[in-house]
Amino acid sequence: MAITTARSARSVAANRSVRARKMADAIATAILWAMASSIIVMLAAFVLYMVYLGGQALTPSFIFGVPKETTAGGGVGPEIYNSFYILFLTLLFTVPIAVAAGVYIQEYARPGTFRNVVQFSAESLATVPSVVMGLFGLLVFVYLFKWKFTALGGALTLTLLNLPALMRVTQEALASVPDTLREASMALAGTKWQTITRVVLPSAIGRLTTGVVLIAGRIFGETAALIFTAGLSVPFNNPYDLNPMRPAETLAVHLWYTHSESIVPDVDRIGNGSALVLLIMVLIFNVAARVLGRQLTKRFTGRAS
Amino acid sequence: MIDTAPQQTLETALDKIVAKDVNVFYGTFQAIKHASLTMKDQHVTALIGPSGCGKSTFIRALNRMHDLTPGARVEGTILLDGEDVYGPDADPVVIRHRIGMVFQRPNPFPKTIYENVVYGPRIHGERDKSKLDEIAERALRQAALWDEVKDRMQRSALDLSGGQQQRLCIARAVALNPEVILMDEPASALDPIATSKIEDLIGQLTDHYTVVIVTHSMQQAARISDFTAFFHLGEIVEVGPTSQIFTHPKEKRTEDYITGRFG
Ligand SMILES: Nc1ncnc2c1ncn2[C@@H]1O[C@H](COP(=O)(O)OP(=O)(O)OP(=O)(O)O)[C@@H](O)[C@H]1O
Ligand SMILES: [Mg+2]
Repeated sequence: MAITTARSARSVAANRSVRARKMADAIATAILWAMASSIIVMLAAFVLYMVYLGGQALTPSFIFGVPKETTAGGGVGPEIYNSFYILFLTLLFTVPIAVAAGVYIQEYARPGTFRNVVQFSAESLATVPSVVMGLFGLLVFVYLFKWKFTALGGALTLTLLNLPALMRVTQEALASVPDTLREASMALAGTKWQTITRVVLPSAIGRLTTGVVLIAGRIFGETAALIFTAGLSVPFNNPYDLNPMRPAETLAVHLWYTHSESIVPDVDRIGNGSALVLLIMVLIFNVAARVLGRQLTKRFTGRAS
Repeated sequence: MIDTAPQQTLETALDKIVAKDVNVFYGTFQAIKHASLTMKDQHVTALIGPSGCGKSTFIRALNRMHDLTPGARVEGTILLDGEDVYGPDADPVVIRHRIGMVFQRPNPFPKTIYENVVYGPRIHGERDKSKLDEIAERALRQAALWDEVKDRMQRSALDLSGGQQQRLCIARAVALNPEVILMDEPASALDPIATSKIEDLIGQLTDHYTVVIVTHSMQQAARISDFTAFFHLGEIVEVGPTSQIFTHPKEKRTEDYITGRFG
């Protein structure tokens, strides 16, 4: 009798502790789930609010029209064009340099001083605030080279700003390719260059593209570095000029300009509309990064992910 | 089948690869100590020994794979048909063309089955599509994989099973028509059926090739090899015709190992 009681007491205690553990587990799961979900909620709330604010502004005359200096009804067509134009120029400079440097560091350089110095320089460059880089661009391209405000000056400044990140993206994409594949290619009497171009880069291209497009989204939205270098205006008589040696206000800069300097009466409409267009573009870049990365991986390796 | 001279016997076989007093270092650690070994033309040489004794290190020295490992260093002489593999005029790319390699773990490229097999010939300048098709079929037949993949050559090699992947890697090596094939435990990740297919294949390969194989399986070494070298702690303890090593080993350590007393 005494034994039975003791035993059942013990099993009650065990049951209770099992229940307590299950409870703790459930609570922890719920909290973690809530935190994770809050990210979705924040993004959704943010996007919806921006749509609410800027939604009505998105008319064809806003998206394709030219900005006005003093009167209402201006558009942002040239600004959108400039954002893409500067992005294009920047990627034109950044991608070859960053990929070449990344390939060299990751595939060729033996551990040693040179490699460390390049690595250290890239990391230091990465920590420079964009406004400081903008100041540097102002001093060099605008004053020293006497270019005034130009699309090219802006693009070169953004190149400096984004080189380290893109080099890192390249290195990480290359590092994700297993050494066993390099060995396989070398063992089949491939040269280093053949190994890189035919095995390593095709295997890394998906990740590389994802990284490039994500950085492109950042370049598209960059502001501080461009205010001092690409300027706050668009060419008056030829807003869609292909010449890189002319001022090129981008959409992000225009948003800043509208709210800080502009004297047009419809500041809120232009500001909110610009912000929404910018947001949509950047979100498109994010989605495109994933889709493109996956497609390329599949195309080049015959397999998803 | 290509016509070749009648199979040479154990006694008359020519020396294909001769390693003389080879030392291999990883940094300051010496993984191979004064190893000398002759690998006979058109015969199978098996390298056996406990884990970590240096079998992979030794086999990778033969086709200069250590060139790729920072900090690794090879000393001594390795002759391929009498020419120094590490000589000043030796080109590692040419050496690796003549000495193919199959790794312990299957490492197909993330490309189609077809692209895997023709990778070697392609990078050596073969562009003719019908020639490449021919090479691919021959190599895949030699690797006993043709029937399983002939209808899905454009599928990813990564969708194959582990055993199929390993045979694909063998086909890929064979497609370059090397003179020697090095195999580092090619069957270690495979089931018995795939293993026996690979063993059959090795038997056939000696019609044209010299094979050096690392294996952990005594039975496998006994079944497929003509010569066996026993490695222990970075040294070659004993080497001889396989039948002799397995029936009358001269060294106590060899006997202990093959009878399962250690390792
Ligand atoms: N890259 C490397 N750097 C430093 N040491 C290494 C390296 N590769 C191997 N070693 C060392 O060299 C010795 C021999 O290794 P090796 O891989 O040749 O052995 P193994 O006989 O092939 O073993 P296993 O049967 O387990 O494959 C081991 O002590 C190992 O730790
Ligand atoms: Mg090994």
